[in-house]
Amino acid sequence: MSASRVAAWLAVPARWYLGWLFVSACVHKIAEPASFALDIATYDILPLGLVNLTAITLPWVELAAGVMLLTGARVRPAAVLVSGMMAVFLGALLVALARGLDMSCGCFASQGASEDPISWLTVVRDSVWMGLSGFVFGCDRGLAGVDAWLERRGWHA
Amino acid sequence: MGRAVVEAVVVAAVAGGLALLVNGVRPDGLPLVAADPYETLVPCPEPGGPVEGVAADDPVLDDPRTFLLDARTPDEFAAWHCPGAVNVPYDWLDPLPEATLEELARSVAASRARTVVVYGDGGRPDSGEHLGREISGRGIHNVHFVVGGAGALQGGAR
Repeated sequence: MSASRVAAWLAVPARWYLGWLFVSACVHKIAEPASFALDIATYDILPLGLVNLTAITLPWVELAAGVMLLTGARVRPAAVLVSGMMAVFLGALLVALARGLDMSCGCFASQGASEDPISWLTVVRDSVWMGLSGFVFGCDRGLAGVDAWLERRGWHA
Repeated sequence: MGRAVVEAVVVAAVAGGLALLVNGVRPDGLPLVAADPYETLVPCPEPGGPVEGVAADDPVLDDPRTFLLDARTPDEFAAWHCPGAVNVPYDWLDPLPEATLEELARSVAASRARTVVVYGDGGRPDSGEHLGREISGRGIHNVHFVVGGAGALQGGAR
């Protein structure tokens, strides 16, 4: 089996993992938009006028990207979405850490700073996830995915 | 790459539109723009390092390898202090000047103490606990503070 074939197969669990991650991350945010809005506001990066809009829409983009990765539908656009979101999250984290804020990450369920504090470990974790999304983007060949299944039946471009 | 980005933008737009639609119909939906600023009081990071409280009758206070520090004012120190204690008055505005820290570090090292125990006024906040955090966060290890401060030490335990 060639290296690219191995990488393509490795990309399958990688996208499942990222998909599960993003779906699980968005559940609480969709259920409790007010809590998520407070998390966003705590970063003190966005102007007030964009806080609620971001809190409303971002979790649904996470959900879409997560479902696409889990099902293998349009994996590369999903990986682009995940990479873009991770880049934004990393930027926000770095700003918060540079300011010395002692606060919750807000990455999953809203928690207090003592339960889910931001730290350089959070930065490393998010960087790994971003790298993983790049790997999925570069190596996924549609194995075990909806796209490949549809294509085999001639339903897909 | 270009096509993937375009598709990603389309997906984000559709997901965002769906989100706005759902938000519009759900009873607890957010207003698109917050009317008032969010109250985002973020506590300042706790200064200093780890410090552990010990009771006024803890045997560590009688251990000859314990370095005792009194964080109270010089007047309070003159009125009463634990035998062998060194007075390092805790100033809330300038907790531990560099020169004081250096002198203290030298004294602790010279004493070959294994433990540093600080006691203060025992108030809330306690100057002893805060001085302990300061020195613990600036290179002096194994620092404890007496819970209740000088009052607890004088209250019969010692």
